[in-house]
Amino acid sequence: PGLSKAPVYAILIALAEILSVKDISGRKLFYVHYIDFNKRLDEWVTHERLDLKKIQFPKKEAKTPTKNGLPGSRPGSPEREVKRKVEVVSPATPVPSETAPASVFPQNGAARRAVAAQPGRKRKSNCLGTDEDSQDSSDGIPSAPRMTGSLVSDRSHDDIVTRMKNIECIELGRHRLKPWYFSPYPQELTTLPVLYLCEFCLKYGRSLKCLQRHLTKCDLRHPPGNEIYRKGTISFFEIDGRKNKSYSQNLCLLAKCFLDHKTLYYDTDPFLFYVMTEYDCKGFHIVGYFSKEKESTEDYNVACILTLPPYQRRGYGKLLIEFSYELSKVEGKTGTPEKPLSDLGLLSYRSYWSQTILEILMGLKSESGERPQITINEISEITSIKKEDVISTLQYLNLINYYKGQYILTLSEDIVDGHERAMLKRLLRIDSKCLHFTPKDWSKRGKW
Amino acid sequence: MSKLSFRARALDAAKPLPIYRGKDMPDLNDCVSINRAVPQMPTGMEKEEESEHHLQRAISAQQVFREKKESMVIPVPEAESNVNYYNRLYKGEFKQPKQFIHIQPFNLDNEQPDYDMDSEDETLLNRLNRKMEIKPLQFEIMIDRLEKASSNQLVTLQEAKLLLNEDDYLIKAVYDYWVRKRKNCRGPSLIPQIKQEKRDGSTNNDPYVAFRRRTEKMQTRKNRKNDEASYEKMLKLRREFSRAITILEMIKRREKTKRELLHLTLEVVEKRYHLGDYGGEILNEVKISRSEKELYATPATLHNGNHHKVQECKTKHPHHLSLKEEASDVVRQKKKYPKKPKAEALITSQQPTPETLPVINKSDIKQYDFHSSDEDEFPQVLSPVSEPEEENDPDGPCAFRRRAGCQYYAPRLDQANHSCENSELADLDKLRYRHCLTTLTVPRRCIGFARRRIGRGGRVIMDRISTEHDPVLKQIDPEMLNSFSSSSQTIDFSSNFSRTNASSKHCENRLSLSEILSNIRSCRLQCFQPRLLNLQDSDSEECTSRKPGQTVNNKRVSAASVALLNTSKNGISGGITEEQFQTHQQQLVQMQRQQLAQLQQKQQSQHSSQQTHPKAQGSSTSDCMSKTLDSASAHFAASAVVSAPVPSRSEVAKEQNTGHNNINGVVQPSGTSKTLYSTNMALSSSPGISAVQLVRTVGHTTTNHLIPALCTSSPQTLPMNNSCLTNAVHLNNVSVVSPVNVHINTRTSAPSPTALKLATVAASMDRVPKVTPSSAISSIARENHEPERLGLNGIAETTVAMEVT
Repeated sequence: PGLSKAPVYAILIALAEILSVKDISGRKLFYVHYIDFNKRLDEWVTHERLDLKKIQFPKKEAKTPTKNGLPGSRPGSPEREVKRKVEVVSPATPVPSETAPASVFPQNGAARRAVAAQPGRKRKSNCLGTDEDSQDSSDGIPSAPRMTGSLVSDRSHDDIVTRMKNIECIELGRHRLKPWYFSPYPQELTTLPVLYLCEFCLKYGRSLKCLQRHLTKCDLRHPPGNEIYRKGTISFFEIDGRKNKSYSQNLCLLAKCFLDHKTLYYDTDPFLFYVMTEYDCKGFHIVGYFSKEKESTEDYNVACILTLPPYQRRGYGKLLIEFSYELSKVEGKTGTPEKPLSDLGLLSYRSYWSQTILEILMGLKSESGERPQITINEISEITSIKKEDVISTLQYLNLINYYKGQYILTLSEDIVDGHERAMLKRLLRIDSKCLHFTPKDWSKRGKW
Repeated sequence: MSKLSFRARALDAAKPLPIYRGKDMPDLNDCVSINRAVPQMPTGMEKEEESEHHLQRAISAQQVFREKKESMVIPVPEAESNVNYYNRLYKGEFKQPKQFIHIQPFNLDNEQPDYDMDSEDETLLNRLNRKMEIKPLQFEIMIDRLEKASSNQLVTLQEAKLLLNEDDYLIKAVYDYWVRKRKNCRGPSLIPQIKQEKRDGSTNNDPYVAFRRRTEKMQTRKNRKNDEASYEKMLKLRREFSRAITILEMIKRREKTKRELLHLTLEVVEKRYHLGDYGGEILNEVKISRSEKELYATPATLHNGNHHKVQECKTKHPHHLSLKEEASDVVRQKKKYPKKPKAEALITSQQPTPETLPVINKSDIKQYDFHSSDEDEFPQVLSPVSEPEEENDPDGPCAFRRRAGCQYYAPRLDQANHSCENSELADLDKLRYRHCLTTLTVPRRCIGFARRRIGRGGRVIMDRISTEHDPVLKQIDPEMLNSFSSSSQTIDFSSNFSRTNASSKHCENRLSLSEILSNIRSCRLQCFQPRLLNLQDSDSEECTSRKPGQTVNNKRVSAASVALLNTSKNGISGGITEEQFQTHQQQLVQMQRQQLAQLQQKQQSQHSSQQTHPKAQGSSTSDCMSKTLDSASAHFAASAVVSAPVPSRSEVAKEQNTGHNNINGVVQPSGTSKTLYSTNMALSSSPGISAVQLVRTVGHTTTNHLIPALCTSSPQTLPMNNSCLTNAVHLNNVSVVSPVNVHINTRTSAPSPTALKLATVAASMDRVPKVTPSSAISSIARENHEPERLGLNGIAETTVAMEVT
């Protein structure tokens, strides 16, 4: 069902890359990645939406991408790409997605398959130029990713398979989720129109009947871990990735559907999972989670963090972030999320950092007529936000200025107003009094 | 806008930043450019993604509006939350517990089948249910087992039947269905599972393989320094645990014993009830007889676990008395030694060499404790030379256990033979080395059977053992032993004892005191008495007091001992009759004579040479006679010499009262007491023999060392005491220097009883050469009572301390 609907915002014609072609009952479908748009918007389209006249073939090899896009105004797209594709790109004019005229010229099957087998980067490098070359060098023999952390920044081993979403739809409790990215669910399940997950244990089943049967055997009504926070309907559960493997793995599989850079290459042993739930009469429903290394060598206090799509843009993400910093406060450490951040991650964190720091700055009272002042280190200590993140946030907010030979922080009125407005909307907060958490010193244990 | 003419300093995180708000804000036109001095922080995103359209749009929107605008949000694929059958699917309600949810990880894995039935299965089930009943869960379990039992290859029907505990028909139906379904299934299993990695590495790049094992252990911070400390902690822990175990075991034993006691008490009460012993008469009767035993039994318990330190030689406790009982005068004990030696020395001759002894008479052999000499050679064995009691279970609580790092010698054959001769004692033989009858000097009493060990720091520890004879033994008065020996003039025994330190052996089967005593007397039973090396004041007193003459002394003593014996006899049935005593003495005398005769023969050749060249005589002379004599045999010989004189002495004393004077004249210069005279007399009577004897014994042990001191002091000219002293000193040195030469010198010139005594002492010392030098010296000094002490002291310093074992 989801297939036919184009993203709401995809109203502009855009350059796109065809990653795969499939034939369903005589109709050819093309998997397109819109250049300069996040992969989560990639989709299968019919040839009607491709502008076949504007197709570009890869320069060196005969197999190629064709581009063309659908949606998207691209005011800010990088120039180099624009240059490359100018000729091919159809006029960037807003068009309702349903009627988007974008089209892609289908190539012959063999060529297309060849493309599909090709590591994605290669093609991209052709288009994007030299800055990608360094990464290409490792294309040949991908090595195992680093074992720390849970995110992959080096995507040299990405192949065409992982660039494409493989699950069409996931049913989870009341929700039907449309995955954004590839997730290594068992391959035989990828062809299903809907993958059914148990809402509480996250076990996957191939049919509604299976789920029904499963529910007769599964009596979980909350994540299988210890509740360490509860306020109102919001609870947090702590799950040890070593002690509760099946849940951790199921959670990771689900999360991978929405986290591009997450890697499931290695087991979950070195991680703790903090699952945020919302309670109703049916049980504790998962809203989002973040994972955290038991021992981080790089001050990471979050590895992966996700608010499930049905709960997005309602303040839960910030709540998760806030919670992660509360844990760091208990631990007496500063922390930072593991990199790379996703676009949404960056926005969420920046928003959290901004609000948190502004809250402190605006809360400072002048003492005895003196102008209030604070050091960056102090901000960091109070908030557990790592120093670099404090600085980058101050920069981002443009608060740091150099005046009369010293740095000052300036809070302009629109900043203050904006902050106050934002805080009015931010109703969900973590109450540290409701947190019952004792950090463990994992370094003293032989294993996690 | 003026350009900056200076460079902005780097932003210092530790420096306070003043905050300007609203109206206070300065004109920041200048600041804009300055801002670049602050390093630009990376966003943390992948560059490529950072430039994505929607993000940029959102960021710029935020910059402009300071808050999110709905239209500027990053678009994501939509989710629906309208699953209308949700309530039907998730049945029931879940009430939020008031407490935080706490889960036990072990509860998570329940035994539910992983396989979930699908609608296709349901159809089958419906069909099957027409003929038989099969529940969905049952079906799932079956499929689950089949799936888990088969990997690439499906299980066969046969295996399936073994696997599934169901009706054959049902199995067949389900199995066939499963096989069909499995073939149509695209996946590797009907239970969808995440792809596992393969070891060959072929799956390294398979995007569907997830959750690989981490081959290397994740880098963690290194805590190596902990290793050693934690190791030690573990060790400590282990020690403490084992201690705890020990304690618990002891508690267990205690409680068991308690229980046993309870049962026994019950039994007693029951028995009494049956006997009608309501008044307790029978019980009392029984108790009385038992009480005696109990008294003695107590010490026995002690040996089991606790080691008593009975005596410490350091304290110079009174000597161990050999079996002989010295008369009741405590004082005597030491003296007796000295005297005896003297007497023996005088009489000389008799002492048999080990070799000769057997020849003498077999019957005698039994009585003499030759073993002791043998034992000397093997200190390991000897320390607790012990005498057995009878008992079938000799080892009992003190059973021998090999100790790591110790060398153990094989049992001596001759000993074994010897013991065998006494058939009665044969079975006790084994015990011989473990325990012997022991008396203490300080609390003067017999403690029954015990064995002696030397603990750390030279402490002497007595392990006691309980025997049937305890009640009897307890009655033995050490004095009796002492007096007995002296009076009986079975000096041999005493000498033996002193020699072996430990004891002569007792083998004893009977209970009666008299028998025990007789056994002791006859050397069948060893009796151990602590003895002081240094003859103490008592000795000196004795020496002086005895000047009048030994005979008197002896007589007195013997009388006393006899009296004692008699009393003891009265007390206990049995006891030693005078007749026995006499006959025994006669035997001894006879034996000594024989020995003397032998010795004389041997010596004659050597005699002259030795006397003429006292210094040189050395071992060479003695060598010819001796086979290989070791220290032990030397001891024996020495002791024999010492012991021999006594009987002869008595005779001599009686016969040759006049002779004394002559000899005395010669000897007198030394300033010795009258005691010496008697000995001298003995010596004069058979000086050659004694000398020879000494030479022999000594010579064996030693090589031709000449000790300067000895050489210089010509035995003849020197006062007897002096020479004796030197001899003694040298003897002490045995381990270091060969005492032989010294002996010879002294002996030839004028073997004085003190010398002999010293010799014996020295011999005994050889065994256990650990005594503080001071004690050794003092002992020597006391014995001599002479001015020469000073000179001796110098020598003594080098001597090895000795201790009576």
